[in-house]
Amino acid sequence: MDLSEASKRISQKFASQSVEVDPAFIEKKLRTLVEEFGVNLAEAEKTVTENIAKEHGLESVPRQTSEQREIGSLLPGEWATVEGKIVGLAKPFSPSISQTGIIADATGAIQFTAWARANAPLVEEGQSYRIESAVVDDYRGVPKLNFHAGTTITLLEENVAALPQVVKVSDLRPGVASMRVKMVQEWEARHERILQTGLVGDESGTVKFTIWKDDDATELEVGKVYNIFYASVSEFQGRLDITLNGARCFPDEEGDIEVGVGGAQYRGAIVSIGPGSGVIKRCPVEGCNRVLSRMNYCPVHEMQSDFRYDLRIKGVLDDGEKAHNILMQREVVEAVTGLSLDDAIEIAQNSPMGMDDVFYRLRDTMVGRYFICAGNDLGDTILVKECSPITYDRDRHAELLNRLGGEDNVE
Amino acid sequence: MSNEVRFKQQQTYEREPARRVFATELREATYHFKDGEDEKSPAYVLLPTGERCNRIFIIGSMTQKEKRGEQNLFYQFRVADPTGIFFVSASSFQQEAMQQVSRIEPPAFVAVVGKPSVYETPDGRIFVSVRAESVTVVDKEMRDCWVLDAAENTLKRIEGFDQSKDAALTQEHYPALDLKVYRQMAYEALRQINL
Repeated sequence: MDLSEASKRISQKFASQSVEVDPAFIEKKLRTLVEEFGVNLAEAEKTVTENIAKEHGLESVPRQTSEQREIGSLLPGEWATVEGKIVGLAKPFSPSISQTGIIADATGAIQFTAWARANAPLVEEGQSYRIESAVVDDYRGVPKLNFHAGTTITLLEENVAALPQVVKVSDLRPGVASMRVKMVQEWEARHERILQTGLVGDESGTVKFTIWKDDDATELEVGKVYNIFYASVSEFQGRLDITLNGARCFPDEEGDIEVGVGGAQYRGAIVSIGPGSGVIKRCPVEGCNRVLSRMNYCPVHEMQSDFRYDLRIKGVLDDGEKAHNILMQREVVEAVTGLSLDDAIEIAQNSPMGMDDVFYRLRDTMVGRYFICAGNDLGDTILVKECSPITYDRDRHAELLNRLGGEDNVE
Repeated sequence: MSNEVRFKQQQTYEREPARRVFATELREATYHFKDGEDEKSPAYVLLPTGERCNRIFIIGSMTQKEKRGEQNLFYQFRVADPTGIFFVSASSFQQEAMQQVSRIEPPAFVAVVGKPSVYETPDGRIFVSVRAESVTVVDKEMRDCWVLDAAENTLKRIEGFDQSKDAALTQEHYPALDLKVYRQMAYEALRQINL
C-alpha cells in the first residue's frame, strides 16, 4: 500500500487537465480514508479523484495521462491526444451534438462527436487540429472520439498527412473505412429520412449502404464504380452497414469491378421448401415488415387491410452430410426460378388455389435439384445471396471413375 | 454414446441429412434401430458402408406406379437407379408426397426425399422400403448429377469406414461385410452414364 505513489498518480491525471493539485494534500485525504475508515486503497483513490474533479468543476474524471497517440491505435476507454485532419463532417442527428465527423491521420481514421454541452469550437473540413484529452468510447462496437468540456482543440498550421487505406469489403470492420466499390443494387427506402439505400460491392463481397437525407447528400448511380473515402461502418444484428454521409465518394468513370457475392458457398440438393415460402404479405407499418397471417393479421399491429407483397423461399439445402436451413429473399428467388414477384402476385390473385399455387410451383421447380448457394450463415439459417443450379460435371465424373476404378485402387 | 447424441438433440433440433445411397446398398441394409427410448426418438437404418441414415435422397426413374388400398389410399412405386430398384410408398400420412405422386406418370425421372425403413415379411424375409416425403419430377441431367453425388458419398463412407462411430455396430450386424463390393457397385453405376 503506497499512498504517496497513488497521490502522485492522481496529481498527474489532473495535471494533464491543467488542474494543479498538491500531492501532499491528496495523500492526506487518502490517508484519512485508508487508515481511519478502513477503505481499501483502490476505492480510496477513486473517491479522492472524483471529489477533486467535482471541486474543480470537471465533467468527468481523467483516467490516464493523455499522451499524443496515433489514431489507428486508439482503443475504447482511453483518454487521448491526437493530431489529425478533419476529412468528413456529417450533420448531427441530435441537438445535444454540435458536430460530428471523421478525423484522420496517416495511421487511420475515427469518428468524432463534439457534444453541445462542451462548447468546443467548431472544426472545419480539410483543416488539421490538435485534440487534447478527448475520450475514446464505443457505440455498438464502433470506436468514437468524444470532445467534451475538458477537451482542448487547437488549429494546426501545418496539415497532418491523412492517407486513406483502402480495404476490401470482406475485411470491413466497425469504424471508418475507405474502399473502392461498385454500386450494384438500389433498394426501396423504408424510412422517410433515408435518401438512398442498397448494395455496393467489390470482388470480395457486398455490403449494405445508407445515405441519410441531408443538404449535401448525393445519390449513387447503379453500375458505377466509386472510390469511397472515410465511410462509417457499423454492425447491426451481425451484419455490416456503411453510412456515406460525411464520406467522400468519387465516381470512377473508367473503372469496372467484377462484384463477388462473398460469404461461404454451400452445395447440395434442396430437399424441402417449407411453410412461409412463396408469396407472402408484409405488414405496411413503417419499420415493421412482419409477415401477415392468411387473415392479414400482424402479431404486433393486428389487422392490416393494406399490405405489401413479397416473395421468398425458406427451405433446406442438404449435401448428404448436413442439412442447412436457407432463406432466399425476393431478388434471389426471382433470379433462380425465373418467377417474378409481379407474376407471382398475379398467380396468387387469379389461381383457384391462390397463394398455394405459387408455393407448389416453387416447390416443383426447386425441390430435388442440386444448387450451389453463396451466402452468410446467420447461425441456424443461411441467408442466400446467390443461387445457381449445378449441372452435370464431366470432369468430376472422370475423376470419380479414376478414384473408384481399377483393382489397383482397391485394397 | 447414444445418450450423448440424444442429449444433443434435445438441446438443439438438427434436421437429419438425407444420405445418398444406391439401391443395391440400401437393399442390403437389414439392421434398423432407434436412438433412444422415446416414441419420438429417431429411427435409423444402418447402411453396410457404416453410416446410420434416417433420411435419404435419391434420383432415378419411376418405373411402376400402383394405387393401393380402399379407404386409406396409398401409392407404391419403383424407382430405378443404375444399380437396382428402390421400393417407395406414399400414403395419407405423407399427403404432400401422395398428391405429388398422383400427378406423375411413369416413366419419369423423379427426385425422392424420404425415410427408409426395414420390414420383415411373415415368411422371415427382410426388405427395405422408402416412405416418401417429397417426390418431384426432374430431368436426366439431375439424375446424372445424383449418380456422381451418390458415388462420391459411397466412396467417402468406404474410405472413412474406420473413423465411423458406427463401424463396430456395422461389423457386428453385417459380419460378411466386404466393402469392395460397394466400391465396385459405385464404379459400375458411374460407368453406365456416358462421359
